[in-house]
Amino acid sequence: MRIGLEVHLQLPTRSKLFCSCPTNGDAPNTSVCPTCLGLPGSKPVLNRKALELGIMIAKFLDCRINDRIWFSRKTYFYPDLPKHFQITQYESPVGNDGHYEHEGKRIGIWRVHIEEDPGRIKRVGRSGEEVSLIDYNRSGIPLVEIVTAPDLESPEQARAFIDQLVTELRYLVGINVQDETSVRVDANLSIGEERVEVKNVQGLKNLERALRYEATRQTKVLDAGKRIVRETRRYDEERKITLPAREKEFEEDYGYIGEPDLGEYHIGQWARETVLKETPFARAERMSAELDIPRQTARQVVLTSGSLADLLEKLCKEVPSEKALQWLLGPISSNWGALEKVIDADGGACVIDIVKADASGSITDSEAKIRLQKCAGVKSEGTPACASNPDMISMVNSFLDAHPEVVKDLRNNAKAANSVIGHVMKETKGQYSSKDIVECVKKEISKRV
Amino acid sequence: MTPKVDIEAMRRTNERFEPFCEMISVVPDEDHEFTFSAKDNLCAKGFQARAGSRILEGYRPPFDATPIWKMRAAGGLLLGKTNMDEFGFGTFSTNSGYGIPKNPFDPTRACGGSSGGAACAAALLPGHVALGVSTGGSISCPSSFCGVIGMTPTYGRVSRYGLIDYGNSLDKVGLISRSISDIERFLPVISGSDPKDPTSCCQPRLDLSKVRKGPMAVPKECLEGLTPDVARTFDDAVQTLKEGGTEVDVVSMPSLKYAMPAYYVLATTEASTNLARYCGMRFGVAEREYAQHFNDFFSKTRSESFGDEAKRRILLGTFCRMVGFRDKYYLKALSVRQGITKEYLDVFKDHSMVLSPTMPFIAPKFDEIASMRPLEMYSADFLTIPPNLTGLPHISLPCGYHSGMPIGMQAVAPHWEEGTLIDLGKRWGTTFAYKVPEACQ
Ligand SMILES: [Zn+2]
Repeated sequence: MRIGLEVHLQLPTRSKLFCSCPTNGDAPNTSVCPTCLGLPGSKPVLNRKALELGIMIAKFLDCRINDRIWFSRKTYFYPDLPKHFQITQYESPVGNDGHYEHEGKRIGIWRVHIEEDPGRIKRVGRSGEEVSLIDYNRSGIPLVEIVTAPDLESPEQARAFIDQLVTELRYLVGINVQDETSVRVDANLSIGEERVEVKNVQGLKNLERALRYEATRQTKVLDAGKRIVRETRRYDEERKITLPAREKEFEEDYGYIGEPDLGEYHIGQWARETVLKETPFARAERMSAELDIPRQTARQVVLTSGSLADLLEKLCKEVPSEKALQWLLGPISSNWGALEKVIDADGGACVIDIVKADASGSITDSEAKIRLQKCAGVKSEGTPACASNPDMISMVNSFLDAHPEVVKDLRNNAKAANSVIGHVMKETKGQYSSKDIVECVKKEISKRV
Repeated sequence: MTPKVDIEAMRRTNERFEPFCEMISVVPDEDHEFTFSAKDNLCAKGFQARAGSRILEGYRPPFDATPIWKMRAAGGLLLGKTNMDEFGFGTFSTNSGYGIPKNPFDPTRACGGSSGGAACAAALLPGHVALGVSTGGSISCPSSFCGVIGMTPTYGRVSRYGLIDYGNSLDKVGLISRSISDIERFLPVISGSDPKDPTSCCQPRLDLSKVRKGPMAVPKECLEGLTPDVARTFDDAVQTLKEGGTEVDVVSMPSLKYAMPAYYVLATTEASTNLARYCGMRFGVAEREYAQHFNDFFSKTRSESFGDEAKRRILLGTFCRMVGFRDKYYLKALSVRQGITKEYLDVFKDHSMVLSPTMPFIAPKFDEIASMRPLEMYSADFLTIPPNLTGLPHISLPCGYHSGMPIGMQAVAPHWEEGTLIDLGKRWGTTFAYKVPEACQ
């Protein structure tokens, strides 16, 4: 099975692609101007930020950046498209011929280009009396379109690929996909010779379903000894099936011409000078290899927080990575809420000292943990000794008061203390180690006997 | 120092010659230093902007085109919007949805187009400067027919923001006036880069004191297909120039003959996308029958409200950009344009300007136009198209009269060198006696 994708994502700019209208328009048709309404005489002016983000994405996907780029008019009639042409890129997109590593597989990227979004049509009214309303707040919102080679091998993989890509782009350029349904995809899938396109699928869940349906359908056709017809289909979200596209709009000839109001842009130099941040999956790959830790663990750390990943890299320079991970995934993670600020301030020095001391055996396990809490600002005073923790003592006692059967059991079975420990840990959100709690419980029980 | 505006006189003039499709009815209280008009495809607050088309009936733009805004800021009072061929599609201003301007020298003849109303107003109203627009010769042609001076600046010299597009890579806003000193005064006013029109932003500063010296070139290809009266009048003008000390060489520019087909491909291709937005839904004429498929809705408005010439050019332009024809026509035309530009630049290596008649004949009578076929009309522009296709600045100056009708000559200068053209206009004005139409004497 071969699947290729055309993924459309909104670029995170404050203003639209060709005018200064804000991109966060709320009430319908409030964020509009002559340009994005296509009024006669208006002209487009390119938003440089959108082009910059497009260049970053193309570069990230390892595309060949076209030095000379221009925009094109894609002409078609539709009520949500104010000028009845969309300004997009055709002959000379920002980037071509890139690739992206997904789960060890190289996915070809044919092109990356930027274009404007049309408006939105909303159907309102009771069934049978519906009318269409158009909101042009979306009109002119900048989009990036990423076109892959047919290198994906299953619907699940297609979905996972986009999911991962979106995560990467969120870190790279701040692409903000608020819910997975805002991703629009055109997909093509072939099982035999001919490929079938499924256009305009909204959301990743629908994409996976549409592709699964299409794969099953094509397999059945082939099994029945028939041929697959090369065609364009659409996905019916209600019935969860793909159907031949009735509108002949999909086969239309868009009659592309260069956009004469914008001219050409030379972006080669700009692209060469653009420095990219390391993205999470790329970082996880690198850390997994460099620190010799499992890929999944590296991803988990990186996706939790960049500074957690920074700390791991620093720790691994001082102690064996096994020790570093043990601390990082244990006590450091469980105190992360409080520790993050401290680490951002001191670069992790405090925590690193503790882990180093622990690794060298110069302090005991519990001492190390006390110091960590101190560092995090949690319970900065006192020792874990039961006597000095009135909160814990009273918590233990009130539990024992409420559960006399536990007190009875404890006399015969040490494991009965587990329920007390569980309770205290839950109440204090893991502030005390189980060892401390057990000590305290023992002490309080002994008082009662 | 507010020049007096005689609304009554204007109204009488308009009844007879119809230069305006919309006019002020009262003179506003504010002071003004001069009066001007604007071709109807330039958007101006307070007026409709219909570009001669029924499809824009009732459309009132919410903003001023940059050249209008600049003229107003300089103390100009906008008297009205001048009549034109629908979206600029025509050579005689007979393709308008709002009346046909009549030639100031003979009302049975056309003004030329597509800025016919602008040239008509400039010829008839005293002290008037008209904003015109040229895509393929729409300033030169009516200036020649109406006996006035028409200045078409370099493409990109004047912002197109607020100009209703015909062919975006060809459209230029310029000036029409009886007097070269008005052109010299107002060209700097409307010029300059405008962030709202990126194609205006790469221009060097306008410097009218920069005047190119050297002989003028007359392409022999521009002397073919002229009526005898035009040929003779132009010959006399060249003679006068020579007597005044200007060298004039006859040169060959064989690529000029490809300008017309290339122009019609590019202009109609761009126009067919520009005109896609007019559909009766968002502005202009309003189709009220919403309970139909959008295709039927759009088609109904477009069939009813576009004129024949607009439909012809939409079809031609759409055809030229379809898969299979795009390479053959649109991309080919782009390369022809580059070839012609190169030929001009070669001539400019040792010539200051390229000179030719403006139009191959005098303003025709309306009944003659009625019997012309579209191709005949298109060929009438063969002298004005080359500088327009290549974005070169050019000026049309009256250079003689035949049977009482004016004849114009057109000078083309290198890109951004409008000063050379204005200098020619000033020198020509010292030796040539311009005639004023009887109607305004
Ligand atoms: Zn806008």
